[in-house]
Amino acid sequence: MTQQLDLLDIQGHILRAYGRFSYPMARYVFFNIRDSGKARRFVESVTRRVTTAVVWGAGVNDVPQPDWTVNIAFTYQGLKELEVPRASLMSFPPEFAEGMKHRKDILGDDGPSAPEHWDPVWQDNRETRDKDVHIFIALNAVALPITEPSAVEKSMAYCEANLQAAYAWLLAEVAGANGGVVILGGHRGDDGELLDYQDVKVVTENGLPTAKEHFGYTDGISDPVFHGVPYDVDRLIGRGKQMDNGSWAPLATGEFLLGYIDEAHEYPPAPLPNLLARNGTYMVYRKLHENVASFDSYLKQEGQKYPGGEELLAAKFVGRWRDNGAPLTAAPDAQSKAKFDAAYAKADSAERDRMLNNFTYDADMSGARCPFSSHMRRINPRGSLEMGREDTDVPGSLKKMAGAFDTPGALSNRRRILRRGLPYGKVTDRTTDKGNHGIVIMMLNADINRQFEFVQQQWINYGNDFKAGNDKEIILGNHSSDPRFASRAVLQVDPAGDDVPYILSKIPRFVETRGGEYFFIPSMTALRMIARGVIDPT
Amino acid sequence: MANVSGNAYGLTILSPIRNGVVRGAEISHADAVREKLQAWNHEFNSPMASVPQTYLCRFYVLDDVVTQSLPGGSALDSLTDLSPYIPDALRRWALPAEDHLQSAYLVFSSNLFCGPAGTPDAYLHGMWNAIEARVREIWGHCYGFDEVRNVDDFVGYMKKCQLEATLFFVGSNDAPLEEQLKALYLKQEFAKFAIDNQGLPAAQLRANYAAFVQRVQPENVQGPAWQPGQYRL
Amino acid sequence: MSNIAGKAYAMNVVTPVRWYSAWLNKLYFFVAARTPSTLAGLKTLSLIHYARWVIVGRNQFPHLSPDQPREKLKYAYMLFFSNFNGSWDQYVDSFTFAIPGGLDLFWKGNVRYSKSVSLTPFHRYIQYNQLETIHYYNGYPLATANDIKSAKTVRDSLLEFDKTIDQGSDEEFLKRYHALLRGLQHDLGAMYPTPIVSMSAYQVEKRARWHSAEANREQANG
Repeated sequence: MTQQLDLLDIQGHILRAYGRFSYPMARYVFFNIRDSGKARRFVESVTRRVTTAVVWGAGVNDVPQPDWTVNIAFTYQGLKELEVPRASLMSFPPEFAEGMKHRKDILGDDGPSAPEHWDPVWQDNRETRDKDVHIFIALNAVALPITEPSAVEKSMAYCEANLQAAYAWLLAEVAGANGGVVILGGHRGDDGELLDYQDVKVVTENGLPTAKEHFGYTDGISDPVFHGVPYDVDRLIGRGKQMDNGSWAPLATGEFLLGYIDEAHEYPPAPLPNLLARNGTYMVYRKLHENVASFDSYLKQEGQKYPGGEELLAAKFVGRWRDNGAPLTAAPDAQSKAKFDAAYAKADSAERDRMLNNFTYDADMSGARCPFSSHMRRINPRGSLEMGREDTDVPGSLKKMAGAFDTPGALSNRRRILRRGLPYGKVTDRTTDKGNHGIVIMMLNADINRQFEFVQQQWINYGNDFKAGNDKEIILGNHSSDPRFASRAVLQVDPAGDDVPYILSKIPRFVETRGGEYFFIPSMTALRMIARGVIDPT
Repeated sequence: MANVSGNAYGLTILSPIRNGVVRGAEISHADAVREKLQAWNHEFNSPMASVPQTYLCRFYVLDDVVTQSLPGGSALDSLTDLSPYIPDALRRWALPAEDHLQSAYLVFSSNLFCGPAGTPDAYLHGMWNAIEARVREIWGHCYGFDEVRNVDDFVGYMKKCQLEATLFFVGSNDAPLEEQLKALYLKQEFAKFAIDNQGLPAAQLRANYAAFVQRVQPENVQGPAWQPGQYRL
Repeated sequence: MSNIAGKAYAMNVVTPVRWYSAWLNKLYFFVAARTPSTLAGLKTLSLIHYARWVIVGRNQFPHLSPDQPREKLKYAYMLFFSNFNGSWDQYVDSFTFAIPGGLDLFWKGNVRYSKSVSLTPFHRYIQYNQLETIHYYNGYPLATANDIKSAKTVRDSLLEFDKTIDQGSDEEFLKRYHALLRGLQHDLGAMYPTPIVSMSAYQVEKRARWHSAEANREQANG
């Protein structure tokens, strides 16, 4: 089952989390189309500079790594304005046509996450024709390798210069389009000003760039690995799908790319004609504000009562320790964490990657280490949903019901999502939730409804699959401020031990949606065809 | 008896709906049944909420059966593919047949507590006693229901309409409905208690727990509990 | 119509079975009901309150009065009723992901049955043969099958625990209480109205809103 991917036809954004390839800054720009013909020529011109997924290097057929990358995607409205034929438009799935704003009930974007609180660019989207978001362009800028702390400043300045060069190029392209497209402003900036773009950037700690977001957690450690991605072959363990014998296999390509066989042994439903869909995928763009003051004070307030202390509690929220991302499955308490840290300090980068990812929940079926409502367990439960209990079991325990399902990961493997994106904004005052800081997350999948929306609705904002009733995922859940529907989470303990489970109650909303939309990321072939106006589903 | 699983009963009723027009109105009996059942959706709660021991139940109208035309994967579906020389007439013959019902059916399916008796009799008695008028409103459109004059007629009628299950799977619980509702109430209340009293000193916790038991009366199913069909907290 | 009542979804599927092989289907079910492994997947999924398969022979449709025309059917029919938690997609998908073999067994020999893998043909088969519920009543709209099971665990545990309330010192009570909580650590999830699983659930929402307005009125009227 070796799958050769046509890397030159796939946009680089899909297969690469640029942040991991030394691109610590990015700028996202959104456009409204004013003239279809001119807009197609704009797309044609931009396409010539679009970064593919090709392997970077110095070989004969290799392409050098660019100083800045360009990637492009379209909303449903955008495809319509580019005059993709009606028959093709109607072959897209309904959730893509509806867009994120109109899916708010499914997504739980209520209260402070409701569209009326979104950034103006997102509030105005899908209200009037001239403010609809049609095109998304992402620019990522490369930094210099950092060999010592003193090189940080130079590296980031280099990155900043690359980003400016990229943006200057884009503005020139826009000018060349002669009014065919206009940039949509209305992204809230750090001081409340409205900007023409959304900037994102790694968070620095003591002057050093990190992989952390504003709550202090390392983000995006276990992105899925699937067939055919050349630069992910040694990253399989813990990131692929969990098999019966405890080994790992890459997920089917069709979970993330249209035109390939998926985990159900079929081609995922895709728009017509096939050339429009093949090597493309869907992207969910979400700007998520982080309420750092609420987070800090809740963590402090509960950490004083929680027997394991504040830092272990923070780890319980997510399933990983904040400082180095050590998984609770491997380091469930301070003692084991110290051992983990000692080994981690000595490990090379491949070994570190293995230490962070090579685990299952098979030895933690009751959640004593990694709680059922923690971020990591909810986003990717691995093989742990094949669980149950029998009357003779220790009360409070759950166990693996091996063989009950087709494969241990049967309920997880079709809910996986590629996560891209970086933090935005800077936290200047941790005593207030106000300000402009959070993460822009882009989630890529072949089926928005089956993958992203399902996880958001059933696993983040609801808990029945985890035998947790309405309990939500602790960090991202849309916790209600209505005391009648207050959120709670049980932090489980060893059912055979003497400890008592700790119950988090009245969990405030830590993360609020500030905008977003559903996009289609076409292949290079499809981009060229869209630009030429030759898409023909008949 | 595949209708029974433990103390739970799967009742399947197919009642033939009369053909022709409802007297004095330009509407078919099947549509009239649908209209009346639709109206039930807008009442404060379903009339079925007052029928004792109903876990979950549904009504739908089977207008006709569906002729299969999708491609299929079973062996018999592809027998004609074994030879490339099968004549077209035989190919056509092997297509799924078109089938039709002579009348529509009201399908009533209820999952209920039947207890050790293992029969639906007590349940049907309860249904008639609780909502006779509502039963007549719906089943009045069915063949033969005009003969039903009392509860015994009703039970007899329903039994004539009843189909035997080949498999009845109980995924949750076969306890009496009151017990289930009491348990749900307790679960909700106890979780609240656990939160409100987390970390209290032993003596105070003990006193609070005693007061909690006084209030929620765990053993008393007639005491505080959720009501059947309760939508709100 | 209302396929949804609280946290439960009512699915109805009616499919033709060749009359001469219907006995085989009954046999499969007979065996399945007595083979724990067949139902282990269903139990582990834990999404179903109650489900039922009924096979009605082509001459077995109820006949109630001489006015009623007799059926002249070519096939026997299998009626499937399920009361499950979650959205249609979640339920159908979970089944094909987790227990494809079980599904194929239950629909084996049904005319033009698609098989459960791949997913899209199976979706189409179910949609093609699904009938909408007109009225659906749920005795416990706020609870899932998981909640019902865990509620029983809670009540049984409390009844057992209550027998010992007065025994021993406060410290001993506390120890027992901690053991109680530990034993119930997977049974303390909240039960609130469900997140909206489909646009048609708006109807359910509307009813819930109407209920709470009624409740406020009741309160106001004392």
